Amino acid sequence: MYQTLLTTRYLTSRVIPLIAVAAVALCVALVIVVVSVMSGFLNMVQSSGKTLMGDVIITYGISGIPHYETLIEHLEKDKKVVAASPVVDGWGLLRMPYPDSEAKQSETVQVWGIDPVSFAKVTSYHESLQWRAPTKNQLDWLLFDAITENQEMLLINLSDEKRDSLVEIVNSASRTLNYETSSLWAETQSLLGETLWEEVLASDERLTNPDALLQQGISLSQNGSVGIVSGLHVSEGNERQKDGTYQVIRNDYWWLPRYDGTLTMLPVDSHGGIIEPESMIMPFVNEFQSGVFMIDESRVFVPIGVSQQLLHLDEAEIVDENDPTKILGVDPARATSVLIRGDVNVSADELQKRIVQMYDEFLAGLPSDTIVLPPSRSDPGLSIHTWEEQQRSFTGPVEKERELMRTLFSIVYLVVAALILSIFWSIVFEKTRDIGILRSIGASRGSIVWIFLQYSLVIGVVGSALGLFLGWLITKNINSIHDAMGNPPLSVAIGTFVATGCIAAYTIMKSRSGQMLPIVLGALGCITFGGIGALILFIRHIGGLVIWDASVYYFSIIPNEVDWPSSIVTVCGAILFCLLGAIIPAAKAADTDPVKALRHE
Amino acid sequence: MSSSIILEGSNLKKTYQLGRAEVPVLLNASIKVIEGEWITILGSSGSGKSTVLHLLGGLDRPDANGGEVLFQGNSVWKRSNRQINHYRNNQIGFVFQFYHLLPELTVLENTFLPAMIGTTISSTSSAKERSVSLLEQFGLGHRLSHRPRELSGGERQRVAIARALVNEPNILLADEPTGNLDEETGNEILDVLRQLHQGGLTIVLVTHNMEIASLGDRVVHLRHGQIEHPATLAQ
Repeated sequence: MYQTLLTTRYLTSRVIPLIAVAAVALCVALVIVVVSVMSGFLNMVQSSGKTLMGDVIITYGISGIPHYETLIEHLEKDKKVVAASPVVDGWGLLRMPYPDSEAKQSETVQVWGIDPVSFAKVTSYHESLQWRAPTKNQLDWLLFDAITENQEMLLINLSDEKRDSLVEIVNSASRTLNYETSSLWAETQSLLGETLWEEVLASDERLTNPDALLQQGISLSQNGSVGIVSGLHVSEGNERQKDGTYQVIRNDYWWLPRYDGTLTMLPVDSHGGIIEPESMIMPFVNEFQSGVFMIDESRVFVPIGVSQQLLHLDEAEIVDENDPTKILGVDPARATSVLIRGDVNVSADELQKRIVQMYDEFLAGLPSDTIVLPPSRSDPGLSIHTWEEQQRSFTGPVEKERELMRTLFSIVYLVVAALILSIFWSIVFEKTRDIGILRSIGASRGSIVWIFLQYSLVIGVVGSALGLFLGWLITKNINSIHDAMGNPPLSVAIGTFVATGCIAAYTIMKSRSGQMLPIVLGALGCITFGGIGALILFIRHIGGLVIWDASVYYFSIIPNEVDWPSSIVTVCGAILFCLLGAIIPAAKAADTDPVKALRHE
Repeated sequence: MSSSIILEGSNLKKTYQLGRAEVPVLLNASIKVIEGEWITILGSSGSGKSTVLHLLGGLDRPDANGGEVLFQGNSVWKRSNRQINHYRNNQIGFVFQFYHLLPELTVLENTFLPAMIGTTISSTSSAKERSVSLLEQFGLGHRLSHRPRELSGGERQRVAIARALVNEPNILLADEPTGNLDEETGNEILDVLRQLHQGGLTIVLVTHNMEIASLGDRVVHLRHGQIEHPATLAQ
């Protein structure tokens, strides 16, 4: 009973418990924020991997899996499988539309030939498409392109006067559009007259139907011919803004869906030798953003037929080596991978085991007269992996990074523990005389320890709870905090300078008394506030601070989900260290002879 | 005669460790306290008179084979820890030179503290009443909810005496109770002690002041680590 009274009094009549609570709260918040961001980061890497490639992947290197349609058909019969989709992937060179000169730039890209319909069932391909409908500017550019394309027809059908005006309007539009919007749309419509206008609009579906842009991306086709969808960071025309959105440079001039690209791939023969490179010109129909920078900067999607053709993995006739006119049979088209999405309730590992079985069933089920057999499971080139295994090369470094952070953080944990220990040690040490008094009037050693155990328990629980709240608050708002740091408002700087001035004036007034404490505190306050103000001005001067750079961290936003299991461990650990920090010196003090403790000053 | 001896220290030896050196404080000190008397131990600074009191009060342990402290004929230091705590709490009241009040507690709570330590919750209300009446008796009835730092030295020492008495101990051990006070205030404290003694309380007081020593029934001298028998200074 008296222990509770003393604990309450110790807690409420001093400043030290408040400092201890603040220290515990800050330590807990710090650990929670960092651990949450780190594991959120890994989760994002892993989950984006999953949404991009399904749950299980069957891969067979360069030569691909023949009869993959039969395989997919067989796989989709199982209840555990929601959908399966073939992919033909390889590396290629993509000739970009920029720069404006004849020598265009080429990018090395990882080409994924996909079947858009089934691919969308396995991955969230639809949602990753960047352009939902053209903006006003983009429409103007499309119109500009349509007029340029139809210029011969238009110039023939217009009177001399109108022809000159059209040329002038279009030329001036091409100049102004690079920097600002123009009134091209209205001006040309009135100039051309209804028939010609309709004809111009008809040359590009996207001019009249904004939804066509997205549809072309989804179907990977434009006006019945194949199209290409590239990662958002493949094109140098897309510029990331500080708020995480994207803008196309030169006022949408380099908007990729205006242009065609030339894709070149290197087919390989059965011995691994390179045959003649194959090229194909295709329009860019859309761009995608998966959120994983490494993918967004290098991957392009084309219809599966295109990459099969470019890599010579399409259907072909097998001819007799000695008599080329004699056809022996058909070499079926191949897919280098088959992506499989499982039922939500089935784990990736479970699904993988089932797929292995089904692959064997598929092999056994092929007709006995099949000429080209798919690889057997003993073939080292064949792999049936879960997305986690498949992504290892990518998530591996991140996981290692997290392990490194964990190791470093266990050191931080030790520092935090040592801090808490030392705070409590000094609190209990300061109370040694009280302990002597209590012992001299008959308090037992156990009850002394219990007083400080209660004391530290209250500080630990309150501090950790506050820390948990603070950590949650920071983690949830970490992106806004980051943005604010990137672009700190001028008003804050002015505010800090005003505060600096006030503190300085107050300090000068106080310093006349000759006392040191107000001078020291005042000087520290001036340095702190003045420093913050100067830092804000400096950050503004250098154009903002970007700590989280998407091109380095793969993601455009900082993970802001609290890692609850780690947070709970942290909270429990902090409380435990508070208890340890108090119980050890308290036990030591309780063991001291009352007389010695009483002499303690 | 022996039946009236309430507290006895026989052949007490105590050595302090001062760095590497061993400093013997008590060589062979013996003292008998008769129930109801006021005995004063007189000695110069550093003679070990506080040590005698600490040993008697169960706050400090004599050296190994360093004699015995007997309370009502039973050895104090052979008891269990729990019994020693009970001895300190219930049978002995200690008054220190520097008051030793807990700064976070009020006057009433400080007084009441030994009762809370020693008793169960059910009996605390009567202990609280006794605390209040003791404080009123000592002229501190208007100071109950004050903190020790708001009191004068004399007031603090009166709170300390009230605390020592709250569990109705058999003996009051006072270690230079006026040593930190001016003469007038010191006399007030001595008056309080005198009244308590008249009420039948056994008091063992330690001082270096001859004048204060003369107030007791009996004076013993502590010299060279030994207590000189009263017979030699009966005058």
